[in-house]
Amino acid sequence: MSARGRPSRRGRASRQRLLQRFRIVRLMRSRRGPEPGGGSEEAEVVRRRLGFGFWLAVIWLLAMAFVSLFAPMLPLADPTEVAFGGPRESPSLDAWFGTDALGRDVFARTMHGARISLAVGGFAIVFGMVVGGGMGILAGYYRGRLDQGVGFVFFVLLSFPALVLAILITATLERSLLVVSLTIGILSIAPVGLLARASTLVYAEREFVAAARVLGARHGRIIVRELLPNVVIPMGALTLLGMAVAVVAEGSLAFLGLSVAGDDAISWGKMIVDGAGLRDLQNSTHVAMFPVAVMFLTVLALNFAGDRIRQYFDVKELPF
Amino acid sequence: MAVESVSAPAPLLSVRDLHVRFPTERGTVNAVNGVSFDLYEGRTLAIVGESGSGKSVTAKTLMNLLPRTAHVSGEVTYDGQDVRALAAAGTKHFFGVQMTMVFQDPMTSLNPVKKVGEQIAETLRYHLGRSRSDALEEAEHLLDQVGIPEPSRRVSQYPHELSGGLRQRVVIAMALACQPRLLIADEPTTAVDVTVQKHLLDLLDRLRRDRGMSMILITHDLGVAHGRADDVAVMYAGRLVETADARTLFFDMRHPYTEALLRSIPRIEDPVHHRLDPIPGRPPELVDPPDACAFAPRCIYARADCLDGVPELSGLVGLHRFACLHPTGTERGEAALATNRTAGVTAAGLSLPQEAPGSG
Amino acid sequence: MARYLVKRLVLLVAVLFAVTFLGFSAMNFLGDPLFNVVGVMAELDCEGIEAGTVEDTSMDRARSDCETVAEARAEYHLDRSVPVRYVLWVSDLATGDLGTSFQNDQPVSQIVREKLPETLILLVMAQIVSLGVAIPWGVIAAYRANRAFDRGSTVASFGLLSVPNFALGVVLLYLFALRWQIFPSAYESETTLGLLFSMILPAVTLGLPLAASYQRLLRTDLITTLQEDFVHMARAKGLPAMRIMFRHALRPSMFSVVTVFGVSTGALIGGSLVVEQIFGIPGIGREIVTAVIRDDFPVVLAIVMLVACTFVVINFLVDLFYSWLDPRVRTR
Repeated sequence: MSARGRPSRRGRASRQRLLQRFRIVRLMRSRRGPEPGGGSEEAEVVRRRLGFGFWLAVIWLLAMAFVSLFAPMLPLADPTEVAFGGPRESPSLDAWFGTDALGRDVFARTMHGARISLAVGGFAIVFGMVVGGGMGILAGYYRGRLDQGVGFVFFVLLSFPALVLAILITATLERSLLVVSLTIGILSIAPVGLLARASTLVYAEREFVAAARVLGARHGRIIVRELLPNVVIPMGALTLLGMAVAVVAEGSLAFLGLSVAGDDAISWGKMIVDGAGLRDLQNSTHVAMFPVAVMFLTVLALNFAGDRIRQYFDVKELPF
Repeated sequence: MAVESVSAPAPLLSVRDLHVRFPTERGTVNAVNGVSFDLYEGRTLAIVGESGSGKSVTAKTLMNLLPRTAHVSGEVTYDGQDVRALAAAGTKHFFGVQMTMVFQDPMTSLNPVKKVGEQIAETLRYHLGRSRSDALEEAEHLLDQVGIPEPSRRVSQYPHELSGGLRQRVVIAMALACQPRLLIADEPTTAVDVTVQKHLLDLLDRLRRDRGMSMILITHDLGVAHGRADDVAVMYAGRLVETADARTLFFDMRHPYTEALLRSIPRIEDPVHHRLDPIPGRPPELVDPPDACAFAPRCIYARADCLDGVPELSGLVGLHRFACLHPTGTERGEAALATNRTAGVTAAGLSLPQEAPGSG
Repeated sequence: MARYLVKRLVLLVAVLFAVTFLGFSAMNFLGDPLFNVVGVMAELDCEGIEAGTVEDTSMDRARSDCETVAEARAEYHLDRSVPVRYVLWVSDLATGDLGTSFQNDQPVSQIVREKLPETLILLVMAQIVSLGVAIPWGVIAAYRANRAFDRGSTVASFGLLSVPNFALGVVLLYLFALRWQIFPSAYESETTLGLLFSMILPAVTLGLPLAASYQRLLRTDLITTLQEDFVHMARAKGLPAMRIMFRHALRPSMFSVVTVFGVSTGALIGGSLVVEQIFGIPGIGREIVTAVIRDDFPVVLAIVMLVACTFVVINFLVDLFYSWLDPRVRTR
């Protein structure tokens, strides 16, 4: 991507194309609304409401976070205990979600499964924000060759289908929690970085940055004091959406048997594939469907809350 | 709209008590308020007004082009048929065949991704069932008729390859493809170069004459209407304020707004360095309008009674009608103006210059 | 346009270079390259075996393993310096020599040739499903914007976008193949028709979430287009509403969808890994997953390179497709 000086129309278009990949284009469009020097964006802040659905989603997410933090201390069955009940028992009062083929308690496993999903999701997005965000801010602030270089790195990262890149990495390394988290973290560098770069470009031209420069502030100070706080807002607004993507990515890897290895590393994706054999699916549907439902609700909650936050921090919302 | 006797033919288009309202966040916009007029076969009616006067909304209402949110009431009759009922029933081959419209900006009123020939041919194929090749041939002929050089090359060009003036000619060709009896031209020359404007207007006039078509010419420029319109209707704040045949309107106008509009356009006869008289103030907001003459705040004739209720249009549809309590060129008007000049301010609070410009 | 084309071509080459370099790095710098290629065989002391100084319980086996190791060294030019190795490896790739799976002694290109058709059929069907669903869906939603259908469809698309591929696949498999038995539960290849029929469910699994995202983009763009003067003009020409939608408004509103079309191919390829697993389709996706689990790195690397390069080229072509979509681009 050619990214020198003010983005050309075409440069902007192709960047936008890249951003659409991650469904954050709506944010970018509205961010572009008030052009630098356009002035009063405070006046345009409208619709500062999150709504009931948002809080419902947040409650679900907090519950999941609580469960994943304290799962070992909660009065749950041992998720790895083979023959906790008989094999493939239907849901009952003893085992709320029933038991799987090895007689393990599906409810306990589902609750424990939240741990890896959320840990990987959380780590990946933080990693993406630190590395990708940092690269994006530097590229957007210094422009020139650095910008071109960083832009190229992002472009190359986006040239792999995400899951395929993940496979290339996990194929060569042992599949530990750290490696899986890092893998998915690397996937999030480019989208987060592009967003950070775009917001930096907007703010770097604003008066307060120019003023700081005139006052003789050093680059580092401008970046940390003036730019970072402004760029962190749109990035932060996308944290939950990014987490949703990361959770799904981890689930996909786990489904393929390529996530964190080991019997005690319980993951929703792994549980779903365990219950997805034709006979299991036919006769003991609950083994797959409960983790499917919990995972769907979690991703839905992340997406919904994330989308609400995105709108909340948007200066303008598209009219629909 | 000269005086008509009872035995006169029925008008081609008849509009009665048309109201259009748009709900918006700031309140209901009363874009059109009780507009009535008749248009007879073969005549041109100019609807004149500033932007925001409701003239374009009126045109779009006639063509059923308003967004769904608009509330429309009133009667629109075309050749004895209820146009709004036709539109609601989705009647085929009415719009585009009987009546059609030309828009203001030729840059945006052509589909950027279709060749101009195809855009013209499409109408012919859909409405008249022409074959593709016949329609394209006819499109070429139409382009020739609207004065586009090298029509055979133009048919296979995209709109962005043509100049603004040429594009507007294409739009006109497109509108005329199915020989409509009524053409609504919404500011057809506003968006093109001044040098091209006259050519386009003359072209429209010639085509109208050749085809015996009726036309509604919408413009903010009385000068455009002059010499081209048979009848003129002046709109202000969603209402008709004066309608008459062109001769009467230009030489014996009654409404102060018409007078002000006429004064604000430059004329060849004016001496060099002649000062044009802009109309003071701005057109009013159409949200929650006050119960008064909408022009009063900008009117040098305004008296106290102007602020008390909206003046009704005098007379019958088809006659010289105007909505003013102190019409210009009448004793009442002169008296009002004299009183205001002495006071140095109108009843609506507009201050008048001491040196009075000669009234036409 | 010519300048733009040249710029894009340069970028294309640069990205292909970078992508192959990444793959090369994964093989050569993440661990010992020989080990990556042949696994534990790399630890054999072949020189010792050759010289007879090392005794092995099964000398024949060890000898043949050592031959394999030697082949692998030659195949991946492991005796050359790193830059030379890279150049040779890339030119091998470019000439269709994708390397060799030393676990089942098969050239990877042959494996790819066998498995690729299934995956391609799946991907094409998935795109057909998604566009076939998204275009009418988006058109109706935009035509009746903010009415009941539109509101409902917003909720539905939000939900669809939150279902992970594998979860959707399992649910659809359960409902349509097991419970209602409308579609077969597994891959069939006896007849072409049967093959296509058995691919419907996988294609829907892949295509449905994509349809939701296409629909959202298309709807937004269509609503913008419908405000344009040329749409008013088309209405003034008396054309019926649906004709205006499809003939006039749709094409100028396809930009976002076309943009995402290239990109979504990446998501589809990722999804096909999962879906092939669920429905037992012997395609590239299943092959690569199996190869990862078997530690058959040559297969993984070759397929990843193939997929990534195809993906890059697809996005390049999509960019060119813009000029068809908007003739204004051509002269810009």
